[in-house]
Amino acid sequence: MMKKKSMDYLVYVAVIVISVLFMYPIFILFMIAFVPAKYTVQSAYPSLYPRGFTLQYFEQAFSINLFGPLLKSLEVAFMVGGIAIAIGIPAAYGLSKLKPSWAGGIATLLFLSNMMPSITIAIPIAVEFLELGLYDTAISLALAQELVVLPLSIFILLGAFQALPKDLEAQARVDGAGLLRTIYTVLTPLAKAGVAATFLIAWMMSWDEFTFAIFLSPIHPTLPIIIYENITRGNILATSAFALIVTLPVIVLAVVLSKYLKGEYLAGGLNG
Amino acid sequence: MPLVKEKYIPLFFIVPALAYEAYFSFYPTFSAVYGSFLTASGKFSTVNYKELVGLGVYHAITNTVVVTIGALALQFLLGFAIASILIRSFRGRNTFSALLMIPFATATVVAAYIFSNVFSPVGGYANSLLSFFGMASVNWNGAGSSFIINVLQLVVSDSWKNTPIVALILLAGMTAIPKDLYDAAAVDGAGWFSRLIHITIPNLIGFIVIALVIRGVSEFNIFAIALLIFPHKLLTTLVYGLFSLAAKPYLSFAGASVLLAFILVFVAIVLVLRKVFAAKEAY
Repeated sequence: MMKKKSMDYLVYVAVIVISVLFMYPIFILFMIAFVPAKYTVQSAYPSLYPRGFTLQYFEQAFSINLFGPLLKSLEVAFMVGGIAIAIGIPAAYGLSKLKPSWAGGIATLLFLSNMMPSITIAIPIAVEFLELGLYDTAISLALAQELVVLPLSIFILLGAFQALPKDLEAQARVDGAGLLRTIYTVLTPLAKAGVAATFLIAWMMSWDEFTFAIFLSPIHPTLPIIIYENITRGNILATSAFALIVTLPVIVLAVVLSKYLKGEYLAGGLNG
Repeated sequence: MPLVKEKYIPLFFIVPALAYEAYFSFYPTFSAVYGSFLTASGKFSTVNYKELVGLGVYHAITNTVVVTIGALALQFLLGFAIASILIRSFRGRNTFSALLMIPFATATVVAAYIFSNVFSPVGGYANSLLSFFGMASVNWNGAGSSFIINVLQLVVSDSWKNTPIVALILLAGMTAIPKDLYDAAAVDGAGWFSRLIHITIPNLIGFIVIALVIRGVSEFNIFAIALLIFPHKLLTTLVYGLFSLAAKPYLSFAGASVLLAFILVFVAIVLVLRKVFAAKEAY
């Protein structure tokens, strides 16, 4: 019994150490944004705890063009999430019905496209979009970002469909529901946790994406590009406040929805 | 008589996804690889690759491989430790797992920005912490800083954001291992290490492969973090190098093809390892 108790203490020590390690960088972001610069980035040894308070950088942050890029980022992220669901659901359903050997082959093919480096694709695709007159639009960026998102989305949805009871679908069909109606009104609502996880992960991957955005959307940039531009311009302090404004809502969203961000979903199709 | 055989219907549902991937992924990749063997005047040659060598592509390759291995090692060790904690039930478990969402939800650019302030030679938080413990400052990325130190800070910065994902995937795998396997091993008197080797790892292998592929491919593509931490190109990875080549399309196609080759080799290694481990599991 003694051994168990000491193990418990060890777990708590590890939890505290890991929590501090993972929280402290965000705390640093807060400090740079709210503590006068002479205690943070302008000091040879920045203070490890807050020693003052200022809203100066926060006010400066609002002089950075927030609204347009925010709109663009939101637009692209919702498109990426939407396309992931729209193409992902039928594909995942199809894969769940195929013979395992076929499904395995097609899943490998999809994951292979996920392995193509963004930068390999970004340059030829930019040329293509220029010709189509789609360059710099939200939909062109969304279509590019979808490349990384779609295979993972199909994989997550496949896991969600495979987890449903097998005779459910047969029953729905016997009751006279057509195939499409079965998929969208019977199976999809039951797999809603997996669908929500897919949308959320797709949305977050788009929100975060940098490489495609810098190549495909330089004129009307997304938020990550604005942050990058302001850092390279040396606008360090206002950027910290700006980055905080951009990051906090997503952190809150992720924590609130963390039950949909389980590893089971990321490892989706493995369960079958 | 139905129009098509019932068993082919599932294929139709997959067509949009496959068509999309073919058009936006395979086709541009193919044209990039093809373009990498063309000169500006349209002649077929390997001159682009020769020029890449002159620009120090070997250096970029070494950097990328070292960073990838380092980052995967750190993320898997830490991720495994976190997953081993999360599989237990203890008070505060939900808070702990919610806290881990914070780095995950922080955009890569923001993470890079934070760590550029942590590993700054002047005004850096890492040096503050060192001096707090009475240790000397480290030249993180100034002139004459060492390669190991450069790699270390890139690996740490990247792992802060990405370890939680690895932990979540490994946790999913651990949850799926039947508990009686461990009970039986305990009866046999198997120690912690022996259980790790004979039960945990073989049963986790599918999940390890997924995490390795998802993380490994993006480590090879590591870019934004390197760009912000090393604005003076102290440590160029392949994509970082490519970014500065973007104005010369044929040359950048060659660079992109090199990157693609490395990713394919990496994935092949992972899949072979999986086969090897799966064979062991069969005993």
